[in-house]
Amino acid sequence: MSKPLPSASGHFRRSYADEFRLIETRLAKTSAAAFALVLLVFPFAVSPFYVDLATQVFLAAIGALALMLLTGIAGQISLGHAGLLAAGAFTTGILYKEFGAPFWVTLPSAALAGALLGVVFGLPSLRLRGLYLAVSTLALHFLVVYLGGEYETRRGFSTGILVDPPVVFGYEIYAPRVWYFVLLAAAALTLLICINLMRSRSGRAWRAIHSNETVAEALGIGIARYKLLAFVITSAITAMAGALFAYYRGFVSIEAFSLYLTIQYVAMIIIGGMGSLLGALLGALFVTLFPYVIEGAMAALPGADRLAGSVFAVNYAAFGIVMILFLVFEPQGLVGIWRRVRNYFLLWPFRQTALGERP
Amino acid sequence: MTVPLLAVDKLEVVYQRAITAIQGVSLKVSEGQIVAILGTNGAGKTTTLRAISGFLGLDDARVTEGTILFRGAHLENRPPHEITWRGLAIVPERDKVFPNLSVAENLAVVPRRRGTADGRSMEEVVYHFFPRLAELKRREAGLLSGGERQMLAIASGLMCAPDLLLIDELSLGLAPVAVGKLTESLVQIRDELGISILLVEQSASVALRIADYGYVLENGRVVLDGDAQRLLGHADIQEFYLGHAGGSRRSYRDVKQYRRSRRWYG
Amino acid sequence: MQLAVNILVLAAIYALIACGYVLIYRVSRVLNLAHGELMMLGAYMLVATASAFSMSPVMAVVIAALMSLAVGGMVYLFLMRRMTGEMVLAAVLTTVALGILIRGAVILIWSAQQYHPRAMLGWGNPVITLPGDARISLYAALLIMATVVVYGGLFLFLRFGRWGMRMRAAGQDPLLAAQRGINLHAVFALAWGLSTFTGALAGILIALDSGLDSTMVMIGLKAFPAALVGGLDSLAGALLGALIIAAAEVGVIRFIDPLLADVVPFIVLIAMLVIRPWGLFGTREELDRV
Repeated sequence: MSKPLPSASGHFRRSYADEFRLIETRLAKTSAAAFALVLLVFPFAVSPFYVDLATQVFLAAIGALALMLLTGIAGQISLGHAGLLAAGAFTTGILYKEFGAPFWVTLPSAALAGALLGVVFGLPSLRLRGLYLAVSTLALHFLVVYLGGEYETRRGFSTGILVDPPVVFGYEIYAPRVWYFVLLAAAALTLLICINLMRSRSGRAWRAIHSNETVAEALGIGIARYKLLAFVITSAITAMAGALFAYYRGFVSIEAFSLYLTIQYVAMIIIGGMGSLLGALLGALFVTLFPYVIEGAMAALPGADRLAGSVFAVNYAAFGIVMILFLVFEPQGLVGIWRRVRNYFLLWPFRQTALGERP
Repeated sequence: MTVPLLAVDKLEVVYQRAITAIQGVSLKVSEGQIVAILGTNGAGKTTTLRAISGFLGLDDARVTEGTILFRGAHLENRPPHEITWRGLAIVPERDKVFPNLSVAENLAVVPRRRGTADGRSMEEVVYHFFPRLAELKRREAGLLSGGERQMLAIASGLMCAPDLLLIDELSLGLAPVAVGKLTESLVQIRDELGISILLVEQSASVALRIADYGYVLENGRVVLDGDAQRLLGHADIQEFYLGHAGGSRRSYRDVKQYRRSRRWYG
Repeated sequence: MQLAVNILVLAAIYALIACGYVLIYRVSRVLNLAHGELMMLGAYMLVATASAFSMSPVMAVVIAALMSLAVGGMVYLFLMRRMTGEMVLAAVLTTVALGILIRGAVILIWSAQQYHPRAMLGWGNPVITLPGDARISLYAALLIMATVVVYGGLFLFLRFGRWGMRMRAAGQDPLLAAQRGINLHAVFALAWGLSTFTGALAGILIALDSGLDSTMVMIGLKAFPAALVGGLDSLAGALLGALIIAAAEVGVIRFIDPLLADVVPFIVLIAMLVIRPWGLFGTREELDRV
């Protein structure tokens, strides 16, 4: 994998206080404020369809950020993401259905279930690396999905579990716009947690483990502890995303948590750009909108209507192609493209050329 | 003067599009010659060798300037197996045999270019030079001693009937007795088969004993070259590569001065 | 007795598919998660050739199998070749993406309906009664035979064939193999071709036996624990692993709960990863190489 070229910018940190800042330059501050404003106004400016779409993006962003922590930062490959989402959703569904548990019980319970499952998913990582770890998490995915399916059939909810909207302080969260803000807040909170984790001791330990486990261990980093921590945090966040998903949809069914969902999340962090939180967000946006774009393109293209009956097949094929294109031609993902564009403007009128390259 | 077998001209190699490893390296190997490339760690020996044998791509490196001509054909940035087919075999530095394959299998996997002129199969030729290998035919290569492995590695290189054999660090990690035997075999191979040999060595004494001509690399440039006998007599070689202190010991400061001058004016 | 026959048939299916995983992993250290899809593609090729060569059914089967050999080689040459030298994860994810692509393309071309290639070729599927009153369908018996032949052939090829030796050499040390003048791309393409060929053979025989639709992918995925339980770089291991997985699956369906069928292979896999991660016959240091 080619390494990113050093980025050019005129900003330098001059004090320790600078190092701790979340937002460093005035330009960043202005654009963040503008972006926040757009997000706040957005649901009031567009049709409910787009509000729903944005809400889905937020939901996906939570899961993608969590997976990015585990795979992109700590370097632990997981193919069991859908299993974790399913665990959160089913914890919520079961607690609600069996005990009528309210929102403030189910959400922490989902996180707890996720954390426990994270330990289970993470244990193999202490012995296994790379491919074998991917395989073990894949196997656990099937196990979780089986248990969920078993519950559905045993209790006679073979079509799925219905979950009523959550009630917080006597207020029912039901309207799309309310959900929009709830999930926006959840996604923003997740992002903040992730940013701070990255800047903390654990974040540094994870990156050290990612680049070289043996060296990291020699430097006194407790490999086992930090690997498990990565799995636990990721799983807890993901399970909460699963719980929110259950509430938002009002419905839990094991059908929703197929291997394809895992692949979609993995695709988010690849397409977004490995190792970057911004990448996770961009990836979540891209992957969530992708099927709608394909559908739109098919409606717009003449002669495509004969494929109308197999929209999902077109989706599959196109999604596979896009994933391959990114893996082969842009391993740095959307973030890589973004960095190149940014550097182009930062350096203008000069151009960055590699040594030995003819401009 | 005839066209040399291998002619490297003003070669420049850049790693990861950012680091220049060697610059302006030129060297020649004529038919039937044994040529040595000497230098300390990081001098650019291995990079030169990899550039010739087509193994730069692995480290994200490229030949950015200069030419490598083998029998008049360009070899810059060609895939490795194609270079081997053209008659240029390499004996790498480490991991030189397939450990789980037997000795006979190690020889058999090599795609051959042609037989020898006198109709013997390459196997016979190889076992003629290294009778020890014939005794060990069935043994797994991972169980061989260091010297035997080096033998097998050279033998495997011979299997593709090359015109030029590149050998990386022949003496590394071997007992002096084993090295002596191997160098004798190399001279014998050159004399009987007419194969040219390019040795890349840290040990100047080993290399210059059998070489006809030598190049000394420092900091990615050729700083000294000449007939092996002349190099052996050269004061700098005596002092810095063979470890014989000259008549008057130089101070550490002089040595540093020497290094610096080599770097800038070499 | 019938139970033993069922186990044997299922084991043959898993073994025939698993050797494809092993071949590719052994040569190029890539886990091909598109194997199930490639196998399904092979079976669909039979649907295509069955209508094109309706005169000579045997011809249709042979051509479909050969076409998958070519498909496997092309997958390497046009796609996986670009991933050599990249991280292992990237290569594996590329196969995942390829799998999705094939799944979509298959449905686009052949729709989601179920096919019965046997009927298309005008063949029957007589049931053979074995001693001990066990019954086996003709194509299931053929499957067992195909597995025996394929494994025998692969053993001989890898042991004595010149290209087989090169495949082993490339698997051990690709860099050295290239230095010896072995064309790595040819070796890898051959491995992909053979792997897809054996997978397609399994797919074709299963389709002839019991029909074909896109759920066949699941069979391919379930064969993967068989390869891993035996040790990802060992053919003999894949054989034994297939037997273990098949026995566990058939046993659980019969005595415990048919719903467990799709999970059992993965439960066995997890157990194996806990006890002996490198598999029954696998090389231990493989674990550190990934």
